[in-house]
Amino acid sequence: MNNLNLEVNSRLIYSFTNSEIYFIPTTKYKTNTITFFFIDDLRKETVSKNAMIPAVLRRGCNKYPSMNEISLQLENLFGASFDCGIIKKGEYHVIFFYAECISDNYLSQKMKGNNQDDIFHDCIELLIDIITDPIIENGAFKPDFLKQEKENLKRLIKGRINDKVTYAIDRCFEEMCKDEPFGIYQYGDISGLEQVDETNLYHQYNKIIHNTPLKVFISGNIPKENIDYLKDILITKRANIIANTNITSSRDEANNINDNDKNKELKEYNEILDITQAKLSVGFNTNIYPKDQDYYSLLVCNSILDGGMNSKLFKNIRENAGLAYYIFSQLEKFKGLYLISCGIDAQNKEKTVELILEQIKAIKLGDISKIEYESALKSIETGINSLKDNQLQVIDYYLVQLLSKTEDNFDTLLKKVKSVTISDVIKVAKKIEPELVYLLSSKQ
Amino acid sequence: MNNIETMEYKDINEVMYKYNHKSGLNVFVIPKKGYSKKYAVFATHFGSINTKFSEEGNRKVTTVPEGIAHFLEHKLFDQKDGSIMDKFSLLGSEPNAYTSFNQTVYLFSCTDKFNENFGLLLNFVQNPYFVDESIEKEKSIIKQEINMYKDNANWRSFFNFLKALYKNNNVRNEILGTSESIDNINKEILLKCYNNFYNLTNMVVCIVGDVDKDEVFAQIEKQIENNYKSETEVRRIFPKEPEKINVPYIEEKMQISMPLFQIGYKDNFINNIAWSKNQINNIVDPSTDELFENKTDLLKREISIKILLEMIMGRSSSLYLSLYEQGLINNTFDFDYTAEENYAYSVISGESQDPIKVKEIILQNINEKFSNLNEQDFVRVRNAMYGRNLRWFNSVETISGRFVSSFFKDNYLFDYFNLYDKIDFEYIINIMKEHFKHEYFAMSVIMPS
Repeated sequence: MNNLNLEVNSRLIYSFTNSEIYFIPTTKYKTNTITFFFIDDLRKETVSKNAMIPAVLRRGCNKYPSMNEISLQLENLFGASFDCGIIKKGEYHVIFFYAECISDNYLSQKMKGNNQDDIFHDCIELLIDIITDPIIENGAFKPDFLKQEKENLKRLIKGRINDKVTYAIDRCFEEMCKDEPFGIYQYGDISGLEQVDETNLYHQYNKIIHNTPLKVFISGNIPKENIDYLKDILITKRANIIANTNITSSRDEANNINDNDKNKELKEYNEILDITQAKLSVGFNTNIYPKDQDYYSLLVCNSILDGGMNSKLFKNIRENAGLAYYIFSQLEKFKGLYLISCGIDAQNKEKTVELILEQIKAIKLGDISKIEYESALKSIETGINSLKDNQLQVIDYYLVQLLSKTEDNFDTLLKKVKSVTISDVIKVAKKIEPELVYLLSSKQ
Repeated sequence: MNNIETMEYKDINEVMYKYNHKSGLNVFVIPKKGYSKKYAVFATHFGSINTKFSEEGNRKVTTVPEGIAHFLEHKLFDQKDGSIMDKFSLLGSEPNAYTSFNQTVYLFSCTDKFNENFGLLLNFVQNPYFVDESIEKEKSIIKQEINMYKDNANWRSFFNFLKALYKNNNVRNEILGTSESIDNINKEILLKCYNNFYNLTNMVVCIVGDVDKDEVFAQIEKQIENNYKSETEVRRIFPKEPEKINVPYIEEKMQISMPLFQIGYKDNFINNIAWSKNQINNIVDPSTDELFENKTDLLKREISIKILLEMIMGRSSSLYLSLYEQGLINNTFDFDYTAEENYAYSVISGESQDPIKVKEIILQNINEKFSNLNEQDFVRVRNAMYGRNLRWFNSVETISGRFVSSFFKDNYLFDYFNLYDKIDFEYIINIMKEHFKHEYFAMSVIMPS
């Protein structure tokens, strides 16, 4: 096995047509992981199909034709785990597949007994089988699988309202970007879902698996044999790939040309649900993207607003005014958007919105204490360093770097953040303009 | 130093250092080389179930409002010179706290300046500062928090399940209390609870991360204010709980998209047993007390029932596949078993369009399984659970949280890993007969309004 290596640096170790393998060698964790990310665009025409692909694939493949046989194999591999699904990153619709198992050196001979299999090799093999060898009948997916998973997805979509905190955030962004791909809910809608059948889904599946850009991350204490195996099998499976034009690098900017023309008037949107505590989200436009120099200043500005107990939102809206038990902000980097969300008594909406806007105004006017500034930097530093302790968060970090076409590793990111000054923050705050006040509350 | 014990767990490549302070406080360091985050917790064995107690030698019984432990947790952050949060913030660390049924935990995580942060933690937890005005303001914040949970269907479903199982046991009461119970909290009550339960013999410190254990223990020596072991032991008083369940079914309506269910079994083995040295259940005749011969019996039972649940309805089971294929459950389906100082239960939960049908199929399947368990399944599931639980050690946060929970049950987290190969098939079969008894089964459902 490899020597002690507690770093988590990612490097590209192999690339061929539209496929890349990134390796994060480390002995820090007790687990080895492998993740496949297929990067598609978020579009109304494909959103439902893309959401259905992992749902149907997890039901079985030719070697393990049912869910419980897959689970059984995972149990054989000492409780290995597998998951797949979709994530929305800006206007990318990413389909992911991942498998994880205990690193061989933590399984004593006593536990392994007569089983001398290479567990991680078997994990990779299982994942490849699930992704590339689904059960196909007459050029289509199994109707049973499709029917059941459509029902499940339908329920998931209807179930959005169960998590009201997240709902209030997502809906605010969706209303702000109604006419843009970003306004699409990552699981699509019911009418789009109803159009999906086993044949058109299979076509979309083939497109995704063979033509879409693929990024594979492999992380842990991994012997060369496993990596070579992965390379070889990936080349075989992606052999039919058609060289694809890269995802347009200017797509983000192209979609955001409209933003500059956006009406600067503060809009309101109210939604009614039967809830005890109202949820308020205030959405802002920043016009700042990850490749801009100002982006790092925006990170610090965000931290001054919501970077922990010394931040303006926490102190002024929760502690001093007692208006909200929770209040936090979210930066939507790919779209240059910003959002502040909290749980309040509906009757306090005006007061709370005013107080929130005051915090940003305060920064624009230079009302930033040394304590606020230093705490903000510290909070980001702690966040970056802590991220490194979580194997999956590390992978997510590097994926986002690839998607935003920035090349910051943990060290360069921290350096850039630390060089942001108070006047940089003031300059950037002036670009933050409120756009929408969204309120989720019960009937009057 | 000669009051440091070293415990090595070679199989899983972990080690733990224990320090016995004169005050009776137990201090543990679990090193994690290469991890950026250092995690420190200072916890007390006092939670939402402790609303009735008396001091040693004092026959007067004190009853405190529901939600007091959680309220006290919030107020401890107040200091004479402002909130301790500011000081933590300056150091760039993230302080936090949580209250559960049987413990209150104060913690911080940081990536540097560990000693300074640790000093703050030790300081503020040992020095309460209660002010009337601040207490009143806190009431409105906590009422907001209570309202936030009222909208959480999973939380409501869970507490209704506990109410179905338990008639009197305090575990059925909201951890945060209610708007009404909160209104009755004042400075005197807070202080009384603090003085009784924030006693160092009742507490534990655990540090997980890339730290120097000698520095940590030296800091403990300097900053723990008591040098003598307190002889007063608070007597916890719990209501008498009948063996049978309270009601078999509770249903409530909320605006959600699909019904939620929680079903499970009350486990009475925990009644009438005083296995924790701090625990005195004063409604039980001491002559009928049964003590565990070996306190890892509790862990063994926990592991065994979890293995059984996994075998019967885990992802590799035919029961799960059948329920899923019939569209009766989805991947929110989950199950667990909990055993704490005076309650234990298994719980199975999820979303379903037809919770009653799910319940019937599960109960039928359990009935069939009594004579139908497979030893091969058992070995495979047991090994898988071992592998899965090893993942706990990837996270400093998980290690410390689980460590504290096990500690308050007189066990070490690492003990789990020595037990897996001591559980055999026959033991599992017996446990199954003991636990999965229909008369102790209850159900809670939240229906869409």
